Amino acid sequence: MSTPSPDVLALLQATLDAVVITDDRGRILAFNASAEEMFGYRAIDALGRNVSMLMTANDRLEHDDHLKRYLAGGEARVLGKGRDVRVRHRDGSDFSVFLSVGRIPNSDPPVFVGYLHDTTLRRKALATLENERRLNRLYLDLAQVMLVATDRGGTVQLMNQRTVRVLKKSDDDIVGNSWVDTFVTPEDRPAARAAFRALLMSGSDEPLSCEYHVRASDGEDRFITWRGVALRDAENVATGVMLSGEDITDQRRAESEAHKALERMNSVARLATMGEMAAGISHELNQPLAAIANYAQACVRMLRNPAPDMPEISGALEQISGQALRAGEIIRRIRSLSRNEDVRRESHDINDLIRDVHALLASDARVHDGRLVLDLAEALSKVKVDRVQIQQVLINLVHNAFEAQGEPAYRPDGTPFEVRIATAATESGDIEVSVSDIGPGLAEEMQTKIFEPFFTTKATGTGLGLAISRSIIKAHDARLGYRANQPRGACFYFVLPAHLEPRQ
Amino acid sequence: MKEHSPTVYVVDDDDAVRNSLKLLLKSAGIAAETSASAPEFLGAYDAAQPGCLVLDVRMPGMSGLEMQQELNVRGAMIPVIFITGHGDIPMAVEAMQHGAFDFLQKPFRDSELLDRVNRALTRDAESRTRLRHTDRIRERLASLSPREREVLDLVTQGKANKMVAGDLGVSQRTVEIHRAHVMQKMEAGSLAELVRMMMTVAPGP
Repeated sequence: MSTPSPDVLALLQATLDAVVITDDRGRILAFNASAEEMFGYRAIDALGRNVSMLMTANDRLEHDDHLKRYLAGGEARVLGKGRDVRVRHRDGSDFSVFLSVGRIPNSDPPVFVGYLHDTTLRRKALATLENERRLNRLYLDLAQVMLVATDRGGTVQLMNQRTVRVLKKSDDDIVGNSWVDTFVTPEDRPAARAAFRALLMSGSDEPLSCEYHVRASDGEDRFITWRGVALRDAENVATGVMLSGEDITDQRRAESEAHKALERMNSVARLATMGEMAAGISHELNQPLAAIANYAQACVRMLRNPAPDMPEISGALEQISGQALRAGEIIRRIRSLSRNEDVRRESHDINDLIRDVHALLASDARVHDGRLVLDLAEALSKVKVDRVQIQQVLINLVHNAFEAQGEPAYRPDGTPFEVRIATAATESGDIEVSVSDIGPGLAEEMQTKIFEPFFTTKATGTGLGLAISRSIIKAHDARLGYRANQPRGACFYFVLPAHLEPRQ
Repeated sequence: MKEHSPTVYVVDDDDAVRNSLKLLLKSAGIAAETSASAPEFLGAYDAAQPGCLVLDVRMPGMSGLEMQQELNVRGAMIPVIFITGHGDIPMAVEAMQHGAFDFLQKPFRDSELLDRVNRALTRDAESRTRLRHTDRIRERLASLSPREREVLDLVTQGKANKMVAGDLGVSQRTVEIHRAHVMQKMEAGSLAELVRMMMTVAPGP
């Protein structure tokens, strides 16, 4: 029995294909590592045994037949040709291999070498690869976002169905074209190019975001928000980019509509408030003006008398100057309220701030046949607030209170509807400001709802007053809250932190 | 019944407006009394006192309009001049529909106010005279006997003595005697005057 040389055996060990060497009687002379793995036998167990143990019953007969014929007449049925055969694993399972057999030159008696290539595995691998490709395609196409991959030069290599639908082009029209130059709107190309370059240069796997328009084949522009990452090779060199894009055209459009509607409502609300305020203000101003006119005309008449009552005339003139000052004061307060001052926080006495808007609020009270009562605690700490904003909140709350009084405004007992603005120090020395009324108050389920934008109980309300007020108070590190007023009615309150000024 | 001189009642919650109005009226020789609210006025008001009202439309509690309606309910006939601020025109229109005498927008000329006040006082005096006149006719009617009242009703319907006699089943002479008593008791100088008197006291259409 001739055994292959050690050189040959070493070579066989390194071969990835399974190699089995047999003598002229089918006994195994060599069994390499790949064969061990393929059949489940160790080489020492296989050596010397007949190769037929690796074959299925059918092939076993054929093998013996082939061998006999070859040895008898040299007819090479098998040698030199490759064929698919079924072979048997040590565990009894059959599998397919591609087998090629050759005779070692000049061997006599002949020694045969069989190369076995596991086609089951290869097919499986091929199938797996194909499957993965299909899955990948599926993932790409299932994605709700646009997915686009380009090479370093920006040429499209791959894209998904979403991209095809947004651009309204066929796959072939997209792949192979320059992404930026073909699909991005001309105005947005510089931005898109800059984003592309930033991605290639970034050196990080952190996605970069940008937004630009793409143009569909029908000329429609879609606004897309993009996230992109660089694709890298094994040496970490950027070979291209992968972009995922979300079409936010419709969303932006809706946002813009909503924004416009809000703007409109704001201006309507402002106008409505201004209209009501204007009525109140003009009434407020007409009172001193009417008094002045009356006093002056009375003076003229009294002076026509041959013996005029000088003390009475003098008193009337004093009244005139007093009423003129009253009118001036009203105007001054209105002006300081409506002046377009920048938002700025300054140290204020909250009571002064309330007294400043009292004239305006009192006119609101008058419009609603009500009474405004100030209940201001003395010796409060100062607060650091934006004066105009806090005054706006107070105007809002007082206005709401008067509107909430319900019908009838007139009470048979003659008591007018009353709204109270109160200030008080909390235990911690902060300042609570509250606006309370004696109206119907709020049902429990309404108490959180009323702060929502656009929620309103008024026929002509915009539902923004309380929402805006709450955000202003929030900006002052406080909270606009609601509690029931005692014995009845509603109470809105907020607590402003005391602002302790450094000693001079 | 003692006759008072007419008084202008000023109702306005604004001290300055109220007091200046009182002084202005006084300077024109018109007596004025002031109230700061509708309930205050209604509590003290004596319907027998002639005069007129100068009433602010907007007041806290009971408004001028509500006070006017309260006066209407009470059957008070005092003329009401509303004074309004700017922007109260719809209210003024409503006030006029409810029988207000007139309205003025603040601020106003003294002549505008005094002119209206004087006309309102004249109107009040006229209606009070008319009311007294009507009261007197009712008193005279009450003094007629049932038969005399029957005769009166028939002759003021335009029936001649002969037809009245036929209707009542009495002699024409008897009708003539009743008719003379009616003219005497009613202090009527002619049939035409008697008819006018009956129209004055007749319940409204």
